[in-house]
Amino acid sequence: MADFPERPSAWGGLAVLLDTPQKRYAAIAVILVAMAVAPYVFGSYGTVILTNALLYVLLALGLNIVVGYAGLLDLGFAAFFAVGAYTVGITTLHFGLNFWLALPLAILLAIIAGIVIGAPTLRLRSDYLAIVTLGFGEIVRITARNLRETGGASGLIGIDSPWLFGWHIRTPLDFYYVFCVLAILGVIASVRLANSRLGRAWLYVRHDEDAAEAMGINRVKVKLAAYVVGAIYGSIGGAFFAANLGAISPESFSFRQSVLILMAVILGGMGKIPGVILGAFIVILAPELLRDFGDLRLLIFAVGLLLIMLFRPSGIWPARSKSR
Amino acid sequence: MHSVIKTAAGLALAIVLGMPAIAQDTLTIGIMVPTTGSEATYGQDMANAVNLAIGEINAAGGVLGKQLASTVGDDGCDAQQAVNAASKLAASGVVGVVGGYCSGATVPTLKIYGDAKIPLIIPAANSTKLIPENPGNAFMINSTGNDQVAKAIEYFNGKGIKKIAIINQGDAYSQDLADLTKKNWEAAGNTVTNFEVTNKGEQDYSAVVTAITAANPDAVFWTAYYADGGLLIRQLRERGYQGLIAVGDGSNSPELFKIAGPAAEGVIAFSNPTAEFLPEAKAFSEAYQKQFGAAPGPYSTLSYDATKLLAWAINTAGTTDSAKVIETLQGADFTDTISGPISFTPEKTLARSNFVVLEGKGGAWTLAQ
Amino acid sequence: MSIFDIFTNQLLNGIVLGSFYALVALGYTMVFGVVKLLNFAHGELYMVGGFAGFLVLSFLAPYVGPGWFGVAVSMVLAMIAVGFLGVVIERVAYAPMLSAPRLSILITALAVSLVLQNGMLTLTKGQYVPFGASLGFGGVRIDNFFISYNQMVLVGVAAVLMLALELFVSRTQYGRAMRAISVDKDMARLMGINVNAVIAITFFLGSALAAAAGTMAGAYYGSLWYFMGFLIGLKAFTAAVIGGIGSIPGAMLGGLILGLLESFGTQLPGVGSEWKDVFSFSVLILVLVFKPTGLLGKPEQERM
Repeated sequence: MADFPERPSAWGGLAVLLDTPQKRYAAIAVILVAMAVAPYVFGSYGTVILTNALLYVLLALGLNIVVGYAGLLDLGFAAFFAVGAYTVGITTLHFGLNFWLALPLAILLAIIAGIVIGAPTLRLRSDYLAIVTLGFGEIVRITARNLRETGGASGLIGIDSPWLFGWHIRTPLDFYYVFCVLAILGVIASVRLANSRLGRAWLYVRHDEDAAEAMGINRVKVKLAAYVVGAIYGSIGGAFFAANLGAISPESFSFRQSVLILMAVILGGMGKIPGVILGAFIVILAPELLRDFGDLRLLIFAVGLLLIMLFRPSGIWPARSKSR
Repeated sequence: MHSVIKTAAGLALAIVLGMPAIAQDTLTIGIMVPTTGSEATYGQDMANAVNLAIGEINAAGGVLGKQLASTVGDDGCDAQQAVNAASKLAASGVVGVVGGYCSGATVPTLKIYGDAKIPLIIPAANSTKLIPENPGNAFMINSTGNDQVAKAIEYFNGKGIKKIAIINQGDAYSQDLADLTKKNWEAAGNTVTNFEVTNKGEQDYSAVVTAITAANPDAVFWTAYYADGGLLIRQLRERGYQGLIAVGDGSNSPELFKIAGPAAEGVIAFSNPTAEFLPEAKAFSEAYQKQFGAAPGPYSTLSYDATKLLAWAINTAGTTDSAKVIETLQGADFTDTISGPISFTPEKTLARSNFVVLEGKGGAWTLAQ
Repeated sequence: MSIFDIFTNQLLNGIVLGSFYALVALGYTMVFGVVKLLNFAHGELYMVGGFAGFLVLSFLAPYVGPGWFGVAVSMVLAMIAVGFLGVVIERVAYAPMLSAPRLSILITALAVSLVLQNGMLTLTKGQYVPFGASLGFGGVRIDNFFISYNQMVLVGVAAVLMLALELFVSRTQYGRAMRAISVDKDMARLMGINVNAVIAITFFLGSALAAAAGTMAGAYYGSLWYFMGFLIGLKAFTAAVIGGIGSIPGAMLGGLILGLLESFGTQLPGVGSEWKDVFSFSVLILVLVFKPTGLLGKPEQERM
């Protein structure tokens, strides 16, 4: 019998070091201060990279709920990312809708997408689920590429940047702080979810569906909930991504993107929040540091993923308990 | 004793003054091209040409008395990557950027260079979709889709063609070219028998080929890039299509012949004149061959000219201040080029059409007649 | 051209396409039968097979010529090479993971496919590589119906390979062992069957078939691309599911059906060829939702 998956904790292996509440608050304070001053330390290009990393933190946290908490190997997560981005793009560009109205619409559409994509997979075992979600991801991407409304293969250009109470969120610095807030909210939500009844239900369903059902857990609702929550994360990321870049194209929502997010979840440590955050940073920073290697860097990633799966499937981040 | 101290002091002063002067003695030009991905051969070729130009400019004394250096940002023909590359170039203090091959990837970078007030000279990307997005600092020296369509229609009319099929890949470049062609072709009273969109990376074109052979137009016009175009051409001929096959300038690579094989014989391309057809480019081709060990590619002459244009503009403006450089570029009538004189319309596109008609013969391009 | 002409031409297109799908689907289905794993890297073996065939042909062309004979020789050698690659992958990446949680082995398979894909990306720098075969453009024309010699050879070779596999599975000892393992692995082991050897052979055969398809695709279409395995992997999986996963005749039937569906599907009004893949994936999802065991599959007790 496979070992019971440990309940995700916000600190993972660091919990040993940060054993008093004071130490934890101090750590949080240090992190917040570091985030606030980072742009001034790393300059404008560094800020763009960090903003990217924070976006991936958000996306990886979302996928982590689907894969890490509920155990559903979703290989088409980029579809939710796409729904968020294109909804904002189309409504603000073609209908002049305000970003802050487009955002809830994007989330709503993503929830629907989560249900549509999740529903057919409910009775499938994991192999089939993986491929079906992959198929859905491709369907979304190809549709975005084929329709004129979504801008065809070149995508949408000229998406406006949003205003918030007189603050025009336009420069990379503005978006950096926005993504900081989003990432923090994402972490808090993930922690709360992990400790909630739903979080425990995910664990049981992941471990043994039939036993969970016998205990009274509605397998269907629980699995759909995982997709929906993941979709919410993805679409919020997508919405702000579109506003940030001002232009989106279908290539940003390909299988490669879904794999990148999955790698972020797994490399750092599937299911563990700090691991996922670390994974997101690795996935974004490594290509920048390895820029001179060109195409080789993707290969290095893939080999890294393989090695991790073979030798340290729990990921790079230290686990809280001794068991895997 | 006195002289030793004087010499030592003089030497120390020279070192102290010399060092920062050496550091400030270079101006950096950014090169934004795809050096990875399916269009990497084009991108690499463009970067080579820019560096070749820089070498020549430096040998002649540099710009404003300083030597030029270059740094490459890889856009991978992808919008997201291009944005990253452009941000990096903009933040690294370049005085100008030469780049832009894939229109779809170039468009989102216009805003970045505009915000950073960096002049951008685009040697290849020529979709008309770039024009409305231009914040005012980008100059396109490859004739736009409008000119290419005019050339194509002129050629088709000259051959008595009445019915054509148009195939594109739905991206900014090929779709633009396809739409413009369809609009103008039909406006002149002719017919478009098939208007198809195919996916990049598709291997099997049998459905499209069957539809085309069923409609049997006089010509097929492929408006996208060479790698997939080669496959389509091959499959068209294999299935017995006898009519004319024409391609746009995204397929003007000599690699087309390797992929399409004997089927490429007689294919027509509308293109900017590549190095082998420009009399002024002979010296350039030889220098390129010597430095890089390969023949110059289709966009090398334009990239070379773009670099020289930028250098000239900075020299003429007398400063690297972008507003002055841009003003100089707008009013340019630059003739020290190998691809022809460069001057700009108010939209900052090339003020003349530089398209010629090429024909595939014996595995290489020749000028069609 | 009349409707009838379009029909017959698309029928031919569908059969040609279906042959490729069937060859690759067979590997999926066979491997699934013995280790109950969807080898995510299978599509990449098709791609590697194509490149292997290309390499062999470029060395051997002076001796065997660049025509169909040369391609056939290259294909056989590529099949052997990639067959062994498949066995190596199974031993190194999958065998140690068979007792791990399902999720882990799936991700491992994904990792293997990415390694192969990105490895080829690095080697080819993402460029299309012309295959370099000279196959000629001749064929038979009956009014408006045209079938090229290449197509005839292709379908013929595919049919021969599939027939050989079917004979192997139904007539030989190893074939019987394969079927035994797919029904109950532990029982098969208790009955003295060398399960590991049979699994290795299964991987060998499946990979070899994929390589055959890859080489033929390279020769027929004319060029190779590092990403070409991705889509064919998904399509082949769809074909295997349509026919019933685990069933060898099912994979062949499924491949043919998918090829025909795609060819005729693009003739539907509004469904241009750019929607071809969406069409196929939709078929996959519909089949999995409504008839997960496919046409010829056996109903499984455990949940699919």
